[in-house]
Amino acid sequence: MATESQAPELSYDKPLPPVLELTKPFWDGCREGILQIQFCNICDLPWFPPAEACPRCLQDDWEWRPISGHGTVWSWIRMWQKYFPGWSPDEYPYTVALIKLEEGPYMYSTLVEIEDQDVSCDLAVEVDFRKVNDEITLPVFRPART
Amino acid sequence: MTDQPDRSALRNLQDKTAIVGVGTTEFGAIYRDLDPERSAYELGLIAFREALKDAGLKRTDVDGVIVSRLPHYGRMCEMIGLRHPRFANVLPGEGRQSGIALQYAALAVANGMADVVACIYGNNGRSAGAKYGGESRGISTQAMFEAPYGMTSPGAVTSMMFRRHQYRYGTTTEPLGHLAISNRANAALNPNAVMQRPITMDDYHGARYIAEPLCLLDYCLINDGGVCFIVTSAERARDLKHTPVLIHATSQASDITPVYVADDFWHEPMSQIADDLFANSEAQREDLAFAQLYDNFTPTMLFTLEGMGFCEPGEGGDWISPERIGLHGELPLNTGGGHTSESYMQGWALHVEAVRQLRQECGDRQVNDAQYGLYACAAPLATGHILKRDN
Repeated sequence: MATESQAPELSYDKPLPPVLELTKPFWDGCREGILQIQFCNICDLPWFPPAEACPRCLQDDWEWRPISGHGTVWSWIRMWQKYFPGWSPDEYPYTVALIKLEEGPYMYSTLVEIEDQDVSCDLAVEVDFRKVNDEITLPVFRPART
Repeated sequence: MTDQPDRSALRNLQDKTAIVGVGTTEFGAIYRDLDPERSAYELGLIAFREALKDAGLKRTDVDGVIVSRLPHYGRMCEMIGLRHPRFANVLPGEGRQSGIALQYAALAVANGMADVVACIYGNNGRSAGAKYGGESRGISTQAMFEAPYGMTSPGAVTSMMFRRHQYRYGTTTEPLGHLAISNRANAALNPNAVMQRPITMDDYHGARYIAEPLCLLDYCLINDGGVCFIVTSAERARDLKHTPVLIHATSQASDITPVYVADDFWHEPMSQIADDLFANSEAQREDLAFAQLYDNFTPTMLFTLEGMGFCEPGEGGDWISPERIGLHGELPLNTGGGHTSESYMQGWALHVEAVRQLRQECGDRQVNDAQYGLYACAAPLATGHILKRDN
């Protein structure tokens, strides 16, 4: 999966996530083109967003495991309201999607390589990546090819 | 682990406590008068004063305080001269807490932890420039995994849920329009409502999108105001000024997920609440004179109607009609104008409206034969009550 498919924008004013000790492996993975989430080593439960323990076992015996990158669009919106600086006027409305990952957890993201009129709930999608800077590469989703 | 908790014990609270005083600030007048120095505590104070007067109680009768949206109970107690409360705490400033405030007050009074509990809410959001979206700082899930995509705001998550409902059931935005129009028509009969000019379906369809498919007229207002309700025992309530409004049945249920949304549009918690309420009351759905349904955004009302069994899942769009939900319909909804037209008091003013309807004080917007009324809030932490006019 190409991480350099799109050149970083020269000036990037959109919100960027702080990288924490807990979340660093997630962002390290994205930079390498690998989407990974936490799995419990005791009961195999996956979860997202990151947390310090398995929500079922409550133990901290877990690891980051790559996931398929496949999922479906649970739902999506077009955001018209200018809540954030960083989106230029011609980017409105922009699309936000809630992806239901094949492994179970949900993840907010955006959709690429598809026009809004072609988006539908339950559309099969797969992860792609967009590099923002040397630290952050954001996972995004495109219509599934495989 | 127990298989099924015994929920019949909820009946222990039935008719033990009552709302005996309600008060609010002005809503319309202060909407047009932004004041950056207006504090939420000042608004809470005004509402408390009104509620005391309404109840015919003295300040010193109050021995318990629950505040919400106000940052601290201490400042509020200090401002109302309550130095030695027997029961005091603060609930987060989220709308789902308004029904919970009433529950805690009822629990405290019914169990002898306080005699008279004032539940006080103050909201200076409009004057303070609250946007209800756009937060991107800190280490919250929102900041780390949503804001980078421009995902923000309670309206956007509700819009996600509504889009899914459209996809799954073919629901259109027309019923949302009916809800917004009905709220506004009720507000036109409410002298304290912020928005009183009636709207039409053309207005609704012409309103600008915020988080599409939802538009401006699906959204709650952002306005300043304060609300207070005062709870005491049913016994004591019968010696006070007004006909008591009894806390007849109440319940809480939940579906807490990392992404706010629920795949079943909160059917599970709302149906649980409906089961609790109707199992623990002589009143059934057809006995309700009105329903005050939490309407941060219009789809929340639709999800509530389906979840609580007024119609089947997916049929809310067909069920909602102007005739059915209007003031003289089968189930009048949000009779004071709700959050989209009266005032965005995060459920607090819906409680006040319920009390006033049950006391037959609502003038031109009074519904018929108000003996039982429903309040319900669909959210990750959901609540519902049946309130009852004492005989």
